[in-house]
Amino acid sequence: MKTFEEKWTAWLDEQLSGKELEEFEASLPDLAAARAEKHDAQKLGAFLKQRLGTQTLTNEEFFNHQIRERIERDEQEDVSERGTRSSWWTVPRLVWCGATALALFLITTFVFLGGDQAEEQSDYLTQILNSRVDPAANPNASIYIFESNKTDNKVTVLWTEGLQSLPADYAAK
Amino acid sequence: MKTETTPAQADVSEIDLVRRCQAGDTDAFDQLVTRYRTRVFAMIYNMVHNEQDAWDLAQEAFVKAWKSIGRFKGKSSFYTWIYRIVMNVTIDWLRKREVKAGGAEFDDAIQLKEIDPASKTVPKADPLPHQRMERHEIRDRIDKAIAQLSPEHRAVILMKEIEEMQYHEIAETLGCSIGTVMSRLFYARKKLQSSLKDIYENV
Repeated sequence: MKTFEEKWTAWLDEQLSGKELEEFEASLPDLAAARAEKHDAQKLGAFLKQRLGTQTLTNEEFFNHQIRERIERDEQEDVSERGTRSSWWTVPRLVWCGATALALFLITTFVFLGGDQAEEQSDYLTQILNSRVDPAANPNASIYIFESNKTDNKVTVLWTEGLQSLPADYAAK
Repeated sequence: MKTETTPAQADVSEIDLVRRCQAGDTDAFDQLVTRYRTRVFAMIYNMVHNEQDAWDLAQEAFVKAWKSIGRFKGKSSFYTWIYRIVMNVTIDWLRKREVKAGGAEFDDAIQLKEIDPASKTVPKADPLPHQRMERHEIRDRIDKAIAQLSPEHRAVILMKEIEEMQYHEIAETLGCSIGTVMSRLFYARKKLQSSLKDIYENV
């Protein structure tokens, strides 16, 4: 659906025809005034074309010469930049360095971190975390668990509040 | 669109020149510059109203065109493609200047009663020695009226009225819809009609 502005512009530039033209002209409240404005706008177009279409470029050859110079200068700069940038970091070297760094990272991860993780997870902690407090029996009950690694020994603290008794499945081995 | 060519150059098709440019032939690019330099310069001059700025911007546009000519696939005509670069460079420049100036200098709102009766131009019957001055005065009024438009409105009215480009070509150049082009044309024309009516009715 075209807006009024679009239809008006198309009408002014003689781009409307047939049914579309008839409908648009019928929709105008004052066709005579609209036609006068159309004529006015066409006069403006011709006037602008006449007055602005004559701007000339002086020193045309110098214009081309300057463009050629700029292009040459830019290309020389690009070549020298590429030369300094690619003096050591060639593509094969980059690939090899990347692959070596990735391999070292993976080895470090598996050797130093993989073993520790397995030991960290204790059966005791898992048991507590898997337990649930029955909210119907103990509405204000809450349980916190945290670990302390400040000393060499790892300490796990179980803090309970509002419990009348610990559920059986809380019994730690 | 008319281009500036010598008879020898006219034999060389534009697409051949573009292909040679894509292969790195700067002489071919020189020929393309020669074909379009006057139009491009005039277009930019009508947008910025300063010869030195227009010169610099036209050069910048051509250098950008050279750098990106490898990406020209020939889906649109070359002149639409080069005009797109020209418009981007010019509109960017106008917008930056607007920011530096600390606010909008453009006024796209239509003011129907802004014609100053005292600004009436010299009548037709004036003697010849005054013609140059009269032309200068008229040009100045037109430049001022166009300077009141936003860069996008300027671009649309100049491409339509001076370059006689089709709506779809303008839309392609500015990267907007045909509807937007038509709407911008509507407002730009209304604005210029109200600003310049006294001149174009008397000249």
